[in-house]
Amino acid sequence: MAHAGNEPTSKAESHAGTHGAGRYFVIWAILLAFTGITVWTGYMDLGSLNLPLAMTIASIKATLVILFFMHMTEAAGANRLVFSASFIFLFVMIIGVFGDLWTRNPMTLPSSAPSTEGPEIEVIEAHPGPAPSHH
Amino acid sequence: MSSSDAHAGHHNPNLAHHFDTIEKQDHAVRLGMWLFLGTEVLLFAGLFLGYTVYRHFYHDAFHHASRSLNITLGATNTVVLITSSLSVALAYYAVKVGKRQLALGMLAFTIVCACGFLVIKYVEYAHKFHVGSLPGKWFNDPSLAKYPGANLYFTVYFLTTGLHAFHVIVGMSVLLWVAKGVYKGRYTAEYYVPVELGALYWHLVDLVWIFLFPLLYLI
Repeated sequence: MAHAGNEPTSKAESHAGTHGAGRYFVIWAILLAFTGITVWTGYMDLGSLNLPLAMTIASIKATLVILFFMHMTEAAGANRLVFSASFIFLFVMIIGVFGDLWTRNPMTLPSSAPSTEGPEIEVIEAHPGPAPSHH
Repeated sequence: MSSSDAHAGHHNPNLAHHFDTIEKQDHAVRLGMWLFLGTEVLLFAGLFLGYTVYRHFYHDAFHHASRSLNITLGATNTVVLITSSLSVALAYYAVKVGKRQLALGMLAFTIVCACGFLVIKYVEYAHKFHVGSLPGKWFNDPSLAKYPGANLYFTVYFLTTGLHAFHVIVGMSVLLWVAKGVYKGRYTAEYYVPVELGALYWHLVDLVWIFLFPLLYLI
């Protein structure tokens, strides 16, 4: 199985030397263009759309780097599998935890705590001396 | 590699004695590298998860704290890393087609880019230390004092960018070692797998930054 998966790879790799260096420059230009787009849209206020847009652009950039700079298109099946598996578990972890956060009552979030908590900390920090004398 | 090389495998100085053929050795070391890169993704995954949780807890604090970062410096570092990814890919290509001088030049350029990245990172860190935008209990930035949770943003900021900067230093060292091998003629068109693996590590460094930049600077 592993051997069969390896056969086309060695053929693909012998072709890899012939695709030329031009391809890398094309990918580089696309990556720079997407960097420009993500900075440009980062300055815009798109509300809740900012994060999904930035993550979509980052994912496209990451995919280009993996497929062409890291030559995933020419990698053996087993290598594709082990690397992709790490991303699958990354998503499982993020989605699982975020599913919990997303469905919580907002009252339980630290940022929704009563606003007195903020100034209270400042008072303690501003007068470290007198605080123990109350007790 | 032709089949005649496989038969003469034991005379190949690059072939470890516990592998039958150079093809099997190449397959094993590539699989090992991709497995390692997978664990690297999972290592950063934990930090990205921490980011997700704390950003959800302190959404406004994270927004205001990220405004204190310099987007120009962050974007410059993104361009530096993407360009170094190009140059290391070109170095790998050059070794494969037997252009030794070009490969050495591209590796040197990549290492210069890595140094440039670290210098810019140092400028950013120095500013953070100066204004007191530090992690956890060391946080002492009056301009962000009214946002509880801003200290956690800088905890995540220093952990993620710090671990990434450590990877930049390791990647630089690996590429320096690869460049030495190319210079001494150890890595050539006939045997280039170590160059390939070094380049893969460097691309991973770029990959992590591609996600760190928008998550830290552009929120």
